[in-house]
Amino acid sequence: MEKEASQLEKDHVHSVYEKIAPHFHDARYKAWPKVQQFLSDQDPGSLIADIGCGNGKYLHINSQTYKLGCDYCFPLVESARNDGHEVMVCHSLCLPYRNECFDAVLSIAVIHHFSTKERRVRAIKEMARTLRVGGQMMIYVWAMEQKRRKFEKQDVFVPWNPSPPSWTLSNTCSRGIQKSINQKDKRLALDQHSPKLAGTLKVHRQARSSSFVGEKETTHNLFEKSLRWSLFSRSLDSILDLSNQWHQRELSTFSNGNIQLDELNRGKLFEKIRQGGFIKHISNLSLRCRQNSEDNASEVAVEPGSPMICHPVPFKSCYSELGQDTKQPPVSPAIIHDCSSVCLPDLVSHQKDVKQQLKIDYHPKQSAFHQLQNRRKTDSSLQDTNNYCSMATWNKQPQRSPNGACLRYYHVFKEGELVELIEHHVPELHVIHSYFDHANWCVIAEKIHVWKI
Amino acid sequence: MKLLTHNMLTSHVRGVRPGGGFPLRIQATEVKVNNVDFNQEFVARMIPKVEWGALVEAAESLGHLSDLPHELPPEYENNEDFLRKVHHVLLEVEVMEGILKCPDSGREFPITKGIPNMLLSEEET
Repeated sequence: MEKEASQLEKDHVHSVYEKIAPHFHDARYKAWPKVQQFLSDQDPGSLIADIGCGNGKYLHINSQTYKLGCDYCFPLVESARNDGHEVMVCHSLCLPYRNECFDAVLSIAVIHHFSTKERRVRAIKEMARTLRVGGQMMIYVWAMEQKRRKFEKQDVFVPWNPSPPSWTLSNTCSRGIQKSINQKDKRLALDQHSPKLAGTLKVHRQARSSSFVGEKETTHNLFEKSLRWSLFSRSLDSILDLSNQWHQRELSTFSNGNIQLDELNRGKLFEKIRQGGFIKHISNLSLRCRQNSEDNASEVAVEPGSPMICHPVPFKSCYSELGQDTKQPPVSPAIIHDCSSVCLPDLVSHQKDVKQQLKIDYHPKQSAFHQLQNRRKTDSSLQDTNNYCSMATWNKQPQRSPNGACLRYYHVFKEGELVELIEHHVPELHVIHSYFDHANWCVIAEKIHVWKI
Repeated sequence: MKLLTHNMLTSHVRGVRPGGGFPLRIQATEVKVNNVDFNQEFVARMIPKVEWGALVEAAESLGHLSDLPHELPPEYENNEDFLRKVHHVLLEVEVMEGILKCPDSGREFPITKGIPNMLLSEEET
């Protein structure tokens, strides 16, 4: 279990960050106000560790303190070093620090990359080890509950694309996105004190996620795709906070381009977005069983502790339950090695959407697939995992370029989950404050003495 | 890697006895000296947080001891002369290239461009 968990993190956290590190420097320059505040509140002469510091965006805050950053990703650490910060490369499950040497510890958007509960607890305990008694730790993790949309499951893969895909038909759409984003950037840059805007600015800069290519690039699809790209990235971005107004503006920007959508379709699309049905609409990418999603809409898809590994899965069962077009041959999905070709598994799929929009490749790996199916038949606890994990290269196009979507693994946290994790498993930490900030669940905890009788 | 940073670092190689991974021995091939603004209060507050013996040992191994005492003088908070020396050693001396060696296991951690690589393999943790 441990090995698989570690491998998942290698494939869908570490290697992705290595690939996207060069793009981080520009995008992620802004520190979140509450984190800034936490750092500014530390006494002069404090020793502070930023565990998972990325490109070091918090390391410059409060020059009266000494900050040590560390991260697993060498390119990001190098980037922070180039800004003059003290940083090193290490793994957060094995911090190279003495016991109780820090006055404060930061863990911003890190713990949610660990694929099992046990590893998440270990990460928190390891950080607590380096914190002195009386010192405080701040932890931020992505929330499952977000204002306008909800992750259907807690264990998700989120795609990342450095730039919007360019389409053969017209670039007006993408330019339209960029234009509206840039305009928003300017406005937001002027108002740096609003946490909401600060978060949105970051999102616009990042353009972290993308939709998947693979469908036929009809005019209609291109429009949808461009909309999908920008809204999809927002729907999965933890700090996004869209307003209706923005939707309207975006839609009108698009329609000014070459892509024409009649009023009715536009309205329909917009309505879908508003209702959150948009998630479902674009989730045709997922091949998960409808049954699963309905039953467990708000529950963890994966057994605690079981890894999110993409083994070849019994698609056949999935398909029969969907009652799909049986003319489609059953799919034996490839083992996922390259994250750029993988569909997002976490979104709910509608039967008819799947039927219409899914294009499945037939992979001649039947024997392997059947063998695996037999082996897994009796293992019902893994069934959910497999269905959840079931993916295929469903586009008929060749493998995406390295610039294509990279998937990052996240375990998004439910309300209270982070607090519960600490209260039940980390006795040396006492939660003093917990709150919701920009689609993150946040905790400030203090290191306390643990008396053993 | 500054010596203040080095003072926090320890090896966690499996099998190393508690405390046996500290302090890491420095074998530097490139050392840089910077000018850093002196902040007396900052330095005074930092001193109780460092392992003094390890700091002296590290400074000595780099040839930057510069008559820093092996024992902490009493009432150093207002001793500006002393604090300036500490400031120099803690914040102005940087190891850019070299190796950090675990005193117990001998495991070596490289420093490249001022960045220590403290990663351990699965077998070592």
